[in-house]
Amino acid sequence: MSKSISLKEAYPPGDLAIWVIIYVEFITFALLFLGYAFSRRLDVELFNASQLAVNQTSGFVNTIILITSSYFVVKAVHSIKNMTADTLQESNKEASKWLLFAILCGLAFVTIKIIEFSHIFGMGINLSTNRFFMFYIMLTVFHFLHVILGSGILFLIYKKTKINGYLPNDSKGIETGASYWHMVDLLWIVLFPLVYIIR
Amino acid sequence: MTKITRTLEYIWIVLIMLTIFAYSLGYFKYISTPLVAVLLITTFLKGQLVIDYFMDLKKVRLKYRLIPILWLTIVLSLIAVAYYLPID
Repeated sequence: MSKSISLKEAYPPGDLAIWVIIYVEFITFALLFLGYAFSRRLDVELFNASQLAVNQTSGFVNTIILITSSYFVVKAVHSIKNMTADTLQESNKEASKWLLFAILCGLAFVTIKIIEFSHIFGMGINLSTNRFFMFYIMLTVFHFLHVILGSGILFLIYKKTKINGYLPNDSKGIETGASYWHMVDLLWIVLFPLVYIIR
Repeated sequence: MTKITRTLEYIWIVLIMLTIFAYSLGYFKYISTPLVAVLLITTFLKGQLVIDYFMDLKKVRLKYRLIPILWLTIVLSLIAVAYYLPID
């Protein structure tokens, strides 16, 4: 009788510690998402009226930017994972190129968000304006901070690729940073329709 | 171009198309009660693609893949409940 052999990898990519952090972030954002969704039920008209002040187009552009940056990060990870002793320099160089694109996307996201925040805060809106804006500011500012941290992590990985710091069979570091970045992307994928689109 | 590279490009294109779809619903004020369900389903699809292909969890043991999938399912389902449950 033949035994079935599992071809699945035992652990997710990167350091297991980053996954613990990712699960904690999932729980935190889930509470905020559901807080928003159920608070909306208490005053649907207020939420719909307040939502008109939020720029859907900047939310849309930022979604495209984050998805594209995640794609670039995947390309960088593949460059490092497919590295051989002969392609060490080439692979690091290629990974650094994709990481640079991803970092630029992160900076573009941050810039657009700062413009959006300056517009919102310029109207005198703050956390105590109403329940919609309380959740809007908490969710988007909290996520914004994650984008800044994620961009910083990508920059550290980028610096390592610039000195050919990644070696064959040494992709754990880049996978750890990439996993965090994809989490930031995944959270925005839920946040965008919830806060910007659904009325 | 390798098969995996091509797959990733397709995934990226699908994610972009679904994002344009979501934005169009909002921008042209097409969003209606039944379409919120469609929007949440497309959001689930986008999340699933990110989990499987970007996070690369498709080739990892099921328990690790299931955690983000369950998170996504529960969050989007409860958002749907909050939206569709009749308000007293």
